[in-house]
Amino acid sequence: MSSFHDQVIQILPKLRVQALSLTRNRSAAEDLVQDAVCNALAAQDSFIPGTNFSAWMHRILRNRFISDLRKRRETTDIDDVPASSFASNATHEDSLALKDLSMALSRLPADQREALVMVVVQGMSYEALAEATGCAVGTAKSRVFRARRQLEAWMTGDLPANDKLRVKVAALRATLDDRRRKGLKSDDLFTF
Amino acid sequence: MTGGKDGAPEKPRQAENSSEHENPFDIWLKRGLHQLFDDVANEPIPEELLRLIEEDRDDRAP
Repeated sequence: MSSFHDQVIQILPKLRVQALSLTRNRSAAEDLVQDAVCNALAAQDSFIPGTNFSAWMHRILRNRFISDLRKRRETTDIDDVPASSFASNATHEDSLALKDLSMALSRLPADQREALVMVVVQGMSYEALAEATGCAVGTAKSRVFRARRQLEAWMTGDLPANDKLRVKVAALRATLDDRRRKGLKSDDLFTF
Repeated sequence: MTGGKDGAPEKPRQAENSSEHENPFDIWLKRGLHQLFDDVANEPIPEELLRLIEEDRDDRAP
């Protein structure tokens, strides 16, 4: 069985993803992970070995984010963070679809964005998400569902600046349906 | 939330091979999210953070 400190190191990549989904800013995400690790190290005696370390650690990071947010609200707001911060490098910046997705993501409420990313990117189950975010399983499912459908609405119709993307998605849908009817694979269609 | 076909949530995405049952937007979304977030997960851990953890480990060693 891994030691407490080994478990902290092992979960760092997932904490970074969670932190980025919450902050929408890579620099802020790095700071949040470091602060959460400090909190976890300080509170390690309260962790019961054999219980769900991942959920415990994700909750610490989430609580730290909320705590920081409350402190900052007097002077600024999380929604002031630039939306483009999600895009991670120049190659991604060149992708219209990814830029639009990044912008749409930034418009979601933080809890929905976090839930979506933890389920879709991290492969987390709804039960694990509920435990990691301190909510009911039904709430976790609802957050992911609402995030998906809101993004779909924005990306396919309700986002005025996205006419080109809407056309692209509509064409993709038609092609996918056609290929499905013919029993063909569609993996080659999904390039950004 | 309730299950069902009329606007209800999709089933949980736990199985790796479940993409055949996802709608096209969800497949596209999954790939987009991975492109946005995978790099972050795969970046090297900052030395400062690792040192912080190791120092705490050493401090607590018997």
